[in-house]
Amino acid sequence: MNPNGTSTTEAPLVWSRYKFPDTFIRYASWITVFVFLAYCIEYLNIPLDRLFGMFGRMGDTLANRYYPPDIEYIMDGEYMEYVVETIQMAYLGALFGLIMTVPLGWCASYNMTPSRRYVYPVARLITMGCRAVHEMIWAILFVSILGFGMLPGVLALTFFCTGFAGKLFAEEIEAVDMGPVEAMRSTGANLFQAMAFGVFPQIRVAFTGIAIYTWDVAFRAATVVGFFGAGGMGWYLKRNVLQIETERVAAILISILVLVMISEAVSAWARNKAMEMK
Amino acid sequence: MTEEVHHLPLMTSDIILERRRNSRIVQTGVCLVLVALVAWSVQVTIIDDTDWERMGSFANVLEATNRFIGIDFALFKDLIVPTIETFMIACLGTLLGVIICIPAAWFGAMNITPFKPVTYPIARMMMTLSRSIHEIVWALFFVAVVGLGALPGIFAIAVRSVGFIAKMSAEAIEDIDPGPVEAIRSVGGNNLQVLIYAILPQILPQVLGVIIFEWEINIRRSAILGLVGAGGLGLVFFRQMNTFNYHGVMTVIIAVLGLILLGEAVSHRVRRSII
Repeated sequence: MNPNGTSTTEAPLVWSRYKFPDTFIRYASWITVFVFLAYCIEYLNIPLDRLFGMFGRMGDTLANRYYPPDIEYIMDGEYMEYVVETIQMAYLGALFGLIMTVPLGWCASYNMTPSRRYVYPVARLITMGCRAVHEMIWAILFVSILGFGMLPGVLALTFFCTGFAGKLFAEEIEAVDMGPVEAMRSTGANLFQAMAFGVFPQIRVAFTGIAIYTWDVAFRAATVVGFFGAGGMGWYLKRNVLQIETERVAAILISILVLVMISEAVSAWARNKAMEMK
Repeated sequence: MTEEVHHLPLMTSDIILERRRNSRIVQTGVCLVLVALVAWSVQVTIIDDTDWERMGSFANVLEATNRFIGIDFALFKDLIVPTIETFMIACLGTLLGVIICIPAAWFGAMNITPFKPVTYPIARMMMTLSRSIHEIVWALFFVAVVGLGALPGIFAIAVRSVGFIAKMSAEAIEDIDPGPVEAIRSVGGNNLQVLIYAILPQILPQVLGVIIFEWEINIRRSAILGLVGAGGLGLVFFRQMNTFNYHGVMTVIIAVLGLILLGEAVSHRVRRSII
């Protein structure tokens, strides 16, 4: 007998988290996603039956061709020079990108943009365009315009970093407390003053973090931007890939891995430091 | 805390000024070193290394840029299939990445990793390996192993997306509310049941958001994998570039932009409806 006094012979209530139209939509969307994925496999002619044999072959290839890595090759002085160039390329690209980001992020933040109707969409479009085009495509375009060398690499990274940092920066500006800004505006400060004294102190730490992170990401991209002729280690990689010197390729990959791990550790340390200074 | 109080009366204005001066000296020094580094790098990478002769005057550069402006309408019908392929490679790559992620996230979350000294470093290594090697390099490797076509692209994208998804999922798992886990355990649930009924429902919205975000990035990545022989729009781009059809190059870039815009719009909507 339950407290309400109704008989217990009624069908027990079935509890479910979602009611009819919701459940239907949920199941339908899951099924659509999976059917689409199955269709993708069909469309791209992926040999599912051979898939498991491939893993064995992958192991074979790794063991026979890529092992042992030719460590002596990357200990060479000339290679080290290229590593240094890669690092330089990365931070120049990140620096130029960040310099471009400051006005762009300002214009692309909805709350601080000088003109919501004209400047904001344009700035958003530029940021999005920079981000949407992959750094490799930028590199190829600049190589074809400016010729081989590190300048196209630096420019490609600049555009990449502009897109990457611009979005984060604009989001950071949009998240600030508007109180100080309004207070300043009401006492007659112009937009620039409000930006410099109302917004900038609030985003300073976040901007430092974004800058360090951008450098980290730029370095990762810089290791391969040379692949299409834009200088740095990528060119070494490409050469050895084309010559099928797989043991050297393995060594270069290991060097990239080590460098990226170092840069990641440095960037994590620097970001923690920046946070502490808050 | 007590130390702080102890020191407070000692902080005379002289000491504060002294400290401020010292920190200013350090700051100036750091800035000078940075400026010198940048100047040196500009000298090495931009001034010395560039072939200024080949580039010619500014007008020549503008002319070279100008070649790209224009659209090759004849290419449109050849772009439909590669665009679909690129999109599908991104979808399947993300799916495979998510499947590889499950053990990586399980091993990589401090609170549920089965055997900390062994499995945790393995998962961390998987994440670092996946994030530090660029997708182009992964694609090269997989092209060498499994041959040309869409499959190496899918593998490259899957392996590349493991790092980010696994890291975010592991962090989500570390942040869960331990209450439900204990509740399920106290009524006799085993590890698998804890995973399914206590952990998964808590992290699902967050992880789905991460997956969709990664899917959006993967569209961008899959558009270039063709450059090294993995199918999709990259291959068309490469061909147009090699045949010096600059308007065709621009057309391909516009197709990539359109695809990415679509992905971004979908991802934005889906993520909003999940959260």
